[in-house]
Amino acid sequence: MAMAARWDMTTPRTGFRMVRDAIAARLRLVQILSPAFPIGAFAHSQGLETAIADGRVADAGDLQDWIAAVLTHGSARTDAIFLSMARRPGADLAALADLFDAWLPSAERAIETAELGRAFQSLTRPKDPALPYPLAVGAATQDMDLPEEEVLALFLQAVAAQLVSVAVRFLPLGQTEGQRVLAALAPVIAETAQAAAAAGEADLWSFTPGADLAAMAHETLETRIFRT
Amino acid sequence: MIQEPVLALERSRGLARVGFALRDGRAVLTDLAQAGSAKVLLPNVAGAPEAVFLNTSGGLTSGDRLGYSMRLGDGVTATATTQTAERAYLARDGAARIEVVAQVGAGGRLVWLPQETILFEDSRLDRQTEIALAPGASVVLAESVVLGRRAMGEAPRRARLFDRRHVTLAGRPLWIEAQRLDAGVLAMGDRPALLAGNVAFAVVAFCGAGAEAAVDALRALPVPPGVQAAVTGWNGRCIARALAPDGWPLKQWLGRIAARLTVAPLPRTWQMQGLTT
Repeated sequence: MAMAARWDMTTPRTGFRMVRDAIAARLRLVQILSPAFPIGAFAHSQGLETAIADGRVADAGDLQDWIAAVLTHGSARTDAIFLSMARRPGADLAALADLFDAWLPSAERAIETAELGRAFQSLTRPKDPALPYPLAVGAATQDMDLPEEEVLALFLQAVAAQLVSVAVRFLPLGQTEGQRVLAALAPVIAETAQAAAAAGEADLWSFTPGADLAAMAHETLETRIFRT
Repeated sequence: MIQEPVLALERSRGLARVGFALRDGRAVLTDLAQAGSAKVLLPNVAGAPEAVFLNTSGGLTSGDRLGYSMRLGDGVTATATTQTAERAYLARDGAARIEVVAQVGAGGRLVWLPQETILFEDSRLDRQTEIALAPGASVVLAESVVLGRRAMGEAPRRARLFDRRHVTLAGRPLWIEAQRLDAGVLAMGDRPALLAGNVAFAVVAFCGAGAEAAVDALRALPVPPGVQAAVTGWNGRCIARALAPDGWPLKQWLGRIAARLTVAPLPRTWQMQGLTT
């Protein structure tokens, strides 16, 4: 009886704490991956500005296809794998940073990931050695007891939202339509996150030659609003 | 139970190796080996030595393995290419593999200009290119892939390619890319972020200290009609990429870029003398 009484006393409390901690971790994750987290992501189009400027991305359908390709075959996918590798116990962040650097596809991508990483770290772990953005997110979320796929999905959704916001400012595309594109990408984001959670160095590959060219050509785009 | 004898299909194997070192200020041949379907030819050229690799099997299919190896001593500049386009044919029982390995000594420079790789329907090719640069060394690599033979009306829908390139400088990764092409990519071939309706793609990578300084010169080169190209450079890397609706204009573009980066005539096997300027 005494035993049962003690369980009655403690279980709800322990359960309460666990739920509280999980909610707190989730809130923190949403906070640091929210577009409102001031790291300057809104200034980067990752080459989408070039594709819009030359008319290759002209409407909601084009935009959705572009972002889906970046998620399934492009830099968003490889960034998610890097993030995931940085979260794993015993991850060698310096070696991952070397590897990430070698994987960079263009000068502007190097600038973007370094700038975002610096801003992100200054708000999360200011004393850490500098890391590019995906690795910085990995390091900052390493201790969060949340499902890996959830962390990666929120990261990927932030990338997709960043690209949607570029298009909404540029194309004749309303906020409502932009949000519809983002919602439609949810299954792609979830699937990419699931795959990245189980991936390692051997799974790093990409095939987005059109998006790579657009990101590179952005360096010489005459009139540009975005930094990349 | 009586077991049927397993009839292994004839697979081709080939390994060719070449090495050069400086002797009294001149690059001399120090290593030459060839086995199976791989050969290496050493044309008599003025200036830096040239090695021409050749796959005598005529093309690659399931289980085939082909290896090309190059070793340049300290201070050696050499060019290596292939005799003809590499063809990846139908491969239903696993991938064909190509391994290209190069070591470049301190202050040396390798120019690796293989001819295009043509992917036929249902082909499956895994290629691994590993280039290790010693301090002060550099590499110019130019490679292209063409999907089928457009003149023959070919448009492969199920070709597969895994193409990994890995350049290290003094043991640290400097430039890595891995491209994976499969039926899923080919089904989305019209998407602007992917092939944008093109059938040929290429990359030129110049890696080594100061490589980024080449960006402006490459951007100034004319781009053949129909080719989409761009150049970027930073921190020891200068990378140029292109997409094209056909293999020929892409080859013209590659020739121009390679000629500008190497400040030397292209290997004769490219058959582009006088066409790159």
